[in-house]
Amino acid sequence: MDKKRNLYIAIFLMPAIIIFVIIYLIPVYNVITTSFLEWNLFVGDKTFIGLDNYINAFTNDSLFMASLKNTLIWVVLQGTFHVGLGTMVALFLADKPKMWKFMRVSYMLPNMISGAAFAIILLNIYNPEIGLINQFISFLGVENFQQNWFFDTSTAFFAVTMTWLPYAGLVAILVLAEIMSIPTSLYEAAAIAGATKFQQKLYVTLPLLKNIIGTCVLISATSMLKEFEHIYLTTNGGPGSTTLSLPLYLYKTALIENNYAYANTMGTILVIIGFLIIFVINKLFVLGHSDR
Amino acid sequence: MKISEKITQFFKYVFLWIITLITLIPFLWIWMSSFKSNKEILTSALALPTEFSFEGYIDAFNTAPLLNYYMNSIIVVVTSTLLGVFLVGMAAYVIARFDFKFKNIIFVTLSVSLLLPITALIYPIYSVIRGLGLYDTRSGLILVNIGLGLPTTLYILRSYFLSIPKELEEAAYIDGSGFFRTYLSIMIPIAKPGFATAAVLQFILGWNEFLFALVITDSKRVRTVPLAINYFLSQFSFDYRALFAAIVIITIPSIIAFVALQEQVVDSLAAGSVKG
Repeated sequence: MDKKRNLYIAIFLMPAIIIFVIIYLIPVYNVITTSFLEWNLFVGDKTFIGLDNYINAFTNDSLFMASLKNTLIWVVLQGTFHVGLGTMVALFLADKPKMWKFMRVSYMLPNMISGAAFAIILLNIYNPEIGLINQFISFLGVENFQQNWFFDTSTAFFAVTMTWLPYAGLVAILVLAEIMSIPTSLYEAAAIAGATKFQQKLYVTLPLLKNIIGTCVLISATSMLKEFEHIYLTTNGGPGSTTLSLPLYLYKTALIENNYAYANTMGTILVIIGFLIIFVINKLFVLGHSDR
Repeated sequence: MKISEKITQFFKYVFLWIITLITLIPFLWIWMSSFKSNKEILTSALALPTEFSFEGYIDAFNTAPLLNYYMNSIIVVVTSTLLGVFLVGMAAYVIARFDFKFKNIIFVTLSVSLLLPITALIYPIYSVIRGLGLYDTRSGLILVNIGLGLPTTLYILRSYFLSIPKELEEAAYIDGSGFFRTYLSIMIPIAKPGFATAAVLQFILGWNEFLFALVITDSKRVRTVPLAINYFLSQFSFDYRALFAAIVIITIPSIIAFVALQEQVVDSLAAGSVKG
């Protein structure tokens, strides 16, 4: 009987484990082990070269350093400004002003359609000739402010960042869901103690949101390590390397330059950065220890 | 006091409207422009179309195999959603319900994959899919989509199974119901809300997935909706009207589905993120 039960348990676990092995385990193993090799389209046989790929990345490769710097800036912006904006929207929506449901749905739209489609929409909004932004600037009569937003070195970084930074709909609904799960008795108690609406928000709501805000920081910051299509479809990393990100550079290295080992070196670095971010954010927010 | 509160209330409201408009205006502008002529798009970007023309839409359908892309998306996403929640659900069930060796290690390992920046694995996943002979096939996309959704699906379904009282299946076992049958005819029906939540997330993920669809497929025959955009960009660099129409065709179904199912989607997203 027990044997039979164990057999069923194994059968039930098997599909998930097989998928995990194919999509995560083998790839992670490959990404790490091949990062110590020389292996590309031209040098077909793989030779062990130790840490050379890593040393090359950090000392010799200005594209790598540029993409690393950009990615880290985006990680920080997304973990702070993006989450802050979403949290603010959630706090305001929690008062249920007129049309709050309409606002919530609208704000979620960029997260619900494919990122590829949204990137192309914004590419056209910022288009120098036909785009809404430049046309609006000329409507205001201040043509000096017109830019070739995505393709001018001075504005490209800003334009790419604007394709995701202001759209914190996911953060807003996650925080809002948490606010709505706070029992009203807590506010009643605070009100009896003489707390104003603002004080209630500051001393009752915010402390209880620590966990969900920490989760949002984690989701938003690490999402920048996966960010691909918004950049790929707009600036494709340019002009020069002003908007190059680590994932995009990795993609180009692997599938356009066919330098597999070097791409996997960057993959390993991405994984390490990912775990560092998780570690830091867990330390900052002491996630998992609910205050409730 | 009263007045100052009213003023803050007013500014909050203005702030929310600004946020809403920043989000909606790009959509509205693309929709409006898709009915204009190319000349109108070039000369008067802010104006309403002088006459509604559907030619952009006709061009979009004529130039690209949009219906084909839709069929591929539907096949890939529906299959990976159904298969994903079913297969991962089996693992979630035994992890939630039984004690066995290495249980915690298995659970932690499977869920930790959520935290991996998956773009780091572009090339190895591409190689594995090639090695399995699944390059440029819908099955390859289905497999990758199930893999991408695995950690979240596992987490949601495990929590749901944990919340179901054990007495129900114990009664079934005493009645002589087998392991597999108990799962199929007792557990799945009870856990329906959990499955629905997981399915919504897996569906959204698959429907919008771009990177791996780009990397592991190559032909129009199997490519999915998000990649239609990539195709359109190279096709009509100057036919804005058709490009805008294509964007509308591509985004409208997601928007309608989301607006119709908003409560369910919001609940799913909230359930899927509370990992803390």
